[in-house]
Amino acid sequence: MKVLVFIKEVADTEARIIISSDQKDLEIENKYTVNFFDEFAVEEAIRIKESLKDVEITVCTFAPPRAVEALRTTIAMGADRAFLIDSRNHESDDPLIVSRILAGFAGKEGFDLILCGRQAMDDESANVGPMIAEFLKIPHVNQVTRLQVSGTGTAEVQSEIEGGKKVSEISLPALLTTQKGLNEPRVPLITGVMKAMKTEIAVLDPVAIEIPFGSIDRETSKIAVLSYELPAKRPSVSIIEGASPEEKATGLVRALKEEAKVL
Amino acid sequence: MTRDVFVFVECKDSVPRKASLELLSVGRRVASQFSSGLFAVVVGSGVKDAAEMVSGYADTTVLVDDESLADYGWDTYGSVLEGILKKYEPMLLLGTSSMTGKDLFPRIAVRLQAAMISDAVGLDLEGEGIKIKKPLFGGKVISWLAPKADSMVIVTFRPNSFTVGNAGDKGRIVQEQFTAEANPGIKRVSFEKTGSKKVDLQEADFIICGGRGMKAAEHFVMLDEIADLMGGRTGASRTVVDSKWREYDDQIGKSGKTVSPKLYIGCGLSGALHHIMGMDTSRVIVAINKDPNAPIFQYADYGIVDDLFAVLPALKDELKKTREDT
Ligand SMILES: Cc1cc2nc3c(=O)[nH]c(=O)nc-3n(C[C@H](O)[C@H](O)[C@H](O)COP(=O)(O)OP(=O)(O)OC[C@H]3O[C@@H](n4cnc5c(N)ncnc54)[C@H](O)[C@@H]3O)c2cc1C
Ligand SMILES: Nc1ncnc2c1ncn2[C@@H]1O[C@H](COP(=O)(O)O)[C@@H](O)[C@H]1O
Repeated sequence: MKVLVFIKEVADTEARIIISSDQKDLEIENKYTVNFFDEFAVEEAIRIKESLKDVEITVCTFAPPRAVEALRTTIAMGADRAFLIDSRNHESDDPLIVSRILAGFAGKEGFDLILCGRQAMDDESANVGPMIAEFLKIPHVNQVTRLQVSGTGTAEVQSEIEGGKKVSEISLPALLTTQKGLNEPRVPLITGVMKAMKTEIAVLDPVAIEIPFGSIDRETSKIAVLSYELPAKRPSVSIIEGASPEEKATGLVRALKEEAKVL
Repeated sequence: MTRDVFVFVECKDSVPRKASLELLSVGRRVASQFSSGLFAVVVGSGVKDAAEMVSGYADTTVLVDDESLADYGWDTYGSVLEGILKKYEPMLLLGTSSMTGKDLFPRIAVRLQAAMISDAVGLDLEGEGIKIKKPLFGGKVISWLAPKADSMVIVTFRPNSFTVGNAGDKGRIVQEQFTAEANPGIKRVSFEKTGSKKVDLQEADFIICGGRGMKAAEHFVMLDEIADLMGGRTGASRTVVDSKWREYDDQIGKSGKTVSPKLYIGCGLSGALHHIMGMDTSRVIVAINKDPNAPIFQYADYGIVDDLFAVLPALKDELKKTREDT
């Protein structure tokens, strides 16, 4: 069985982000990590491999070359092969283009199960998973919290949907996006790290993958980024003083009513 | 393609969600600017009343009411929505970035080759075009995006991004018939209702959120009582969820839910960046913490420096009084 995991390398929460003076570009401090939700996807792939025979795990990202580090992390965890599709000179703001490229890769290799994170921490779009599934014309389940893959081409999947939890049976090939709660991602062992350092990571040119899902030219992007700005700053906090907790509570409610007008 | 504006209305227990009414209100602004029609789309089973309810906000309400749509699925709802969009060819489709929105719209965007912008928080009109405001990196940066005009555009917004306007005269309701096509590769085995809480966390106007400083699960009763009193919801920091004092469904922050209520009150939480990322778009933020140096005060509008166990009972009484006055 072939399992494919798509991961994205995202800026760490602590990374400094500077907006250029013309507001057209972002400069991100070189602190990147594997997207929080994608770690659940990698972990789950490894657990499938541990429970079934003949499972091969491929990890792939569409990113600039620095993201080989993120791919190495997944090899260290237990993935078998990793590919970086070079995103330089390509559009990555339009999820349709990103998904076309990733679906193109998946379609060419052929997979039984594709795993993505629920959403990327940088754009919080939650588009790429279901978009890939639609390009490939395979079913998907979002926000998976439990997965049981049978050896016979189906999987039982528990997922979060509006109002509750659903259990579905899905026939493979299928795409799942992972939610917190699915598992506890492992910390790589030193032997894994050593293996990862020696592993050759293939870098692919997206143009070389023949993509049957439409154009990936920058000109065909349907979205233009106009500008970046900092969020509006709040005025500094007004601390409610008082001789007792009761007085403070009274003062707060008065301020919320009369000043902020939210009560 | 027409210049019409469509809003996909989500219902909960056959009642239109507040977030959908917000979209109809902003949709009205866009439709007026473009002198075009505003359409509400109501899809489901037993949703005729919901269509009635939203018809005061839209010129036309497109209704598909069919038993096969009793349970939501991207396959069934997707085929119906695709049918509607192909027939009416709107310029713009607005939806909510809810769990349903995140499941349904990406697939629709591929089918219709539509520009897709998701999880936005604002919209500006600029002459002939629209500008979409979308936070990045957990709100550290705001981006402004413009869809290119030659294809249909789908934009999803977080709940509480806009205020709900008043309903006007009832528009017409057009009942349509589109077949719901179920994907044979996916079978629903069971469904377990959770989160029976009355208000959705992301839609709540009022949130009172507890952190590690709450000390134990049973103390959250104090927060639940205040939330009920205010018709809102109790939230939790990740530490609280990891300690199993509350469910993950309640978690606010980078790895939980993103909320923007009118009023957010944080009690006994430090204001770690991971948490702030989930709530700093709230209109008014209040922090209650006994440590005057807690980072949360850098993000709050109002603060009380004191023991929360002494403040909360008094706060509840005060809030009760204002409720009784109005
Ligand atoms: C990848 C990643 C994702 C994360 N995602 C999230 C997320 O989604 N949401 C989230 O919340 N966190 C998240 N975190 C965790 C986050 O970094 C913090 O660890 C967490 O938010 C801290 O929780 P807290 O504020 O409840 O606890 P603490 O930081 O321990 O703060 C407790 C506060 O309570 C105050 N206090 C104690 N007793 C009292 C009292 N009697 N009266 C008044 N005040 C009192 C203390 O002064 C202190 O400021 C994430 C972390 C990582 C690494
Ligand atoms: N550039 C990318 N390369 C590989 N996988 C990606 C990329 N962008 C998004 N993904 C996958 O799609 C998921 C959702 O991303 P997003 O739609 O950007 O929120 C992520 O968690 C990844 O699993």
